[in-house]
Amino acid sequence: MTYGWTRRRLVVDLTNQTLEVEALSEELLYKYVGGRGLNSHVLYQHIDRETNPLGPENVLVFGVGPVTGTLAPGSGRTTISALSPLTVVRDNVPCLGDGNFGGFFGPALKYAGFDQIVIHGRAARPMWLWIDDEVVELRDASHLWGLDTAETMTRITQERGDSDIQVACIGVAGETGCRFATVMTNLARAAGKSGIGAVMGSKRLKAVAVRGTGAVRVARPADLMDAVADTIIALRQDPASQTYGTEGTASLIEARVKAGGLPTRNYQKLGLEGWQNLTAESLKRYWTRSKACFSCPLHCSHHYEILEGPFAGTKGEGPEYGALGPLGSLVGNTDLASVLYLDTLCNRLGVSVSMAGSTIAWAMECWQRGILREKETDGLVLEWGNPEVIIEMVERLARAEGSLGSLLAEGHYHAAQELGRGSEEYVIHVKGQTPGMTDPRISPAWGLAYIVASRGGDHLRALVTPEFYFTPEQAVKYFGSEEAVSRAGVHGKGRMVKWCEELRAMADSLEICKFVVRTGLIFPVWLQRYFNAVTGLDWSEEDIMHTGERINNLERSFNVLRGLVRSAETISARFLENPVESGPYKGYTFDPKPLLDEYYEARGWDENGFPTRQKLEELGLGEVADDLGHAGKLGRG
Amino acid sequence: MQKVIMLDPSRCTGCRMCEMACSLHHEQACGRSYARVKVVKFELEGIDMPVLCQHCTSAPCTTLCPTGALVRDEPTGAVVLLDQLCIGCRMCAIACPFGAIGIDPRGDRASILKCDLCEGDPQCVRFCEPGALQFVRRDQLGADKRDAVVRVHLTADRSFRRGSEGG
Repeated sequence: MTYGWTRRRLVVDLTNQTLEVEALSEELLYKYVGGRGLNSHVLYQHIDRETNPLGPENVLVFGVGPVTGTLAPGSGRTTISALSPLTVVRDNVPCLGDGNFGGFFGPALKYAGFDQIVIHGRAARPMWLWIDDEVVELRDASHLWGLDTAETMTRITQERGDSDIQVACIGVAGETGCRFATVMTNLARAAGKSGIGAVMGSKRLKAVAVRGTGAVRVARPADLMDAVADTIIALRQDPASQTYGTEGTASLIEARVKAGGLPTRNYQKLGLEGWQNLTAESLKRYWTRSKACFSCPLHCSHHYEILEGPFAGTKGEGPEYGALGPLGSLVGNTDLASVLYLDTLCNRLGVSVSMAGSTIAWAMECWQRGILREKETDGLVLEWGNPEVIIEMVERLARAEGSLGSLLAEGHYHAAQELGRGSEEYVIHVKGQTPGMTDPRISPAWGLAYIVASRGGDHLRALVTPEFYFTPEQAVKYFGSEEAVSRAGVHGKGRMVKWCEELRAMADSLEICKFVVRTGLIFPVWLQRYFNAVTGLDWSEEDIMHTGERINNLERSFNVLRGLVRSAETISARFLENPVESGPYKGYTFDPKPLLDEYYEARGWDENGFPTRQKLEELGLGEVADDLGHAGKLGRG
Repeated sequence: MQKVIMLDPSRCTGCRMCEMACSLHHEQACGRSYARVKVVKFELEGIDMPVLCQHCTSAPCTTLCPTGALVRDEPTGAVVLLDQLCIGCRMCAIACPFGAIGIDPRGDRASILKCDLCEGDPQCVRFCEPGALQFVRRDQLGADKRDAVVRVHLTADRSFRRGSEGG
């Protein structure tokens, strides 16, 4: 009797066109759980120093967790992992990568009977993978190649005659190898980070479509129901969750303005005239209803429709702060309807909204400073805040069209290396990835979180909301210092990021949406309750934290083996050297050094950020310690 | 007083927690194929709506069942299945105007999948956070909608008074 897990992995070899099912051992599943954790383990096993992210030797892994497809809240997520064509551990050495989307794809994969799909090789011509319970086939995708993501989903579901088939697919951006191409599902759900879509495109895999009619056995149904009923009550009592439930991440526009930190014009300034046009309040005239992902009581998304004006007819879901920021304020654009249009456009093309926005912002600053000229932009004038220009740039970069399109398709970090002329100075990034739009000068723990994130520049690895939401008493209890929750503080922030990272790694491996456990429900007891109720196991809160720590250390070791060093754990000079100009945090800069010192110490790593043998063995990763030892990269001490 | 499940489609967020609660309650396993309530999604239009057994007063499924396996449960008013009498002929599914009757997709069991109001404590309602599914007394049907209609006029009551004062 298996509860939670299916214990089955589908292995696909696109080069040899073979499909096999492997059994997953209990030992492996108890160690890495599933989702992101088990995916990272596959990467650790298969990726070596020579692997080219866009070559056939890269591996593309879809993973779901033991609670995926159940009543557990927000249990619809899927992690898609590969060596990243976008992010780097340093210089041009690729980093561990993954994207994660919600929606309904994950449960379908589970119901069809799989915990994971591991995809090797490269097809000779475009293909799509069809999973219909136990029937698995590789099918010709020549009629799908070139279609946008919405068209692809519609074609497949119509062909199969079942609108409930779940489709994960790339758009034209993934096909042309845009380094920040996404994998999409349910029209607007994006596995957006790390350029995962480009890896899928490099394998000539257009889509994975799944229909599953099975069910996930639950060991303790009454416990699961109680845990979820308690979750709904707790979410309703948590003000931050209530805001997310009604306004979604769009609420962050106003929150960031109030904190004095809404980035604009590529972070040249914090604060934008006309920001009111981008708020949740302004969005209400386009929002028609609230929308949720699978099994989620938070329903943080919205369906929107534009009925008049130049973008009339645009329909979609969202937008997130991750679109409103980069495609709005960051590029000086306060035309809300155009931001909605751009959001849906990026979804259809299969392009990361945050990387598109920040790459365009970089290009616009280069234009502003005379570094980019008409010759390089194919005649386009890169004017701040001009919606038509922004739209044109997105269309071109998705197809790598012309000089400008092919430059932008590299992403700002790689594009700047190609362009030179001092343009590198204006790239706002950590390891090639644009950071989340929460300025590190006003939220130092978020800055630390970006620079240590295992997939580069990411706010979601830690999602260190306690910096905003914990009380000074909680800060002392959990992180040893009140300073952890103070904007100017230092002590406790390293421990706070570590604590959050363990919890987020577990959420990503169980595949519980981090927004459900974002603030009031951040404590390990919640993940523990869902996991134990579904699997019938009796893990303690300590087991939950320990497993999260193991996954973080595995990913860290992967990156260290590839060449990660402390000097690469930093962020653009703009945050280190330019003080905030005005507002409540006037004069603040970001200083990563003391934060990094505390973080490494809390993690049991040496001053280079290398895991020690002691720490790895404590986590059952003795073999990883051996690998680091052979490479001369074992932490000292 | 019996209660019925009332649907407010405008509140449905498409989360499918109703399907999860239903299948979990009846099968100790979560899976859409085993749920007695099904959420229909028109993704491009952004519309989601649950479809479930209406426990019709004059139920076509009950009329057509050749073995008398569908009967009225007096306390709840629900049309329920007597498992042991079901032969899996699916005439009830043919008769149901809503498509609310299902069958085990694996073919393991003869009997159909039919809502029984969870013996008076419907789990789909319990876990519908947005309140698209509510369990209301028969005499309270539409009460919240009527409230909402009148509430609009709380701010406009001066116009009513002016009318009644009329001269």
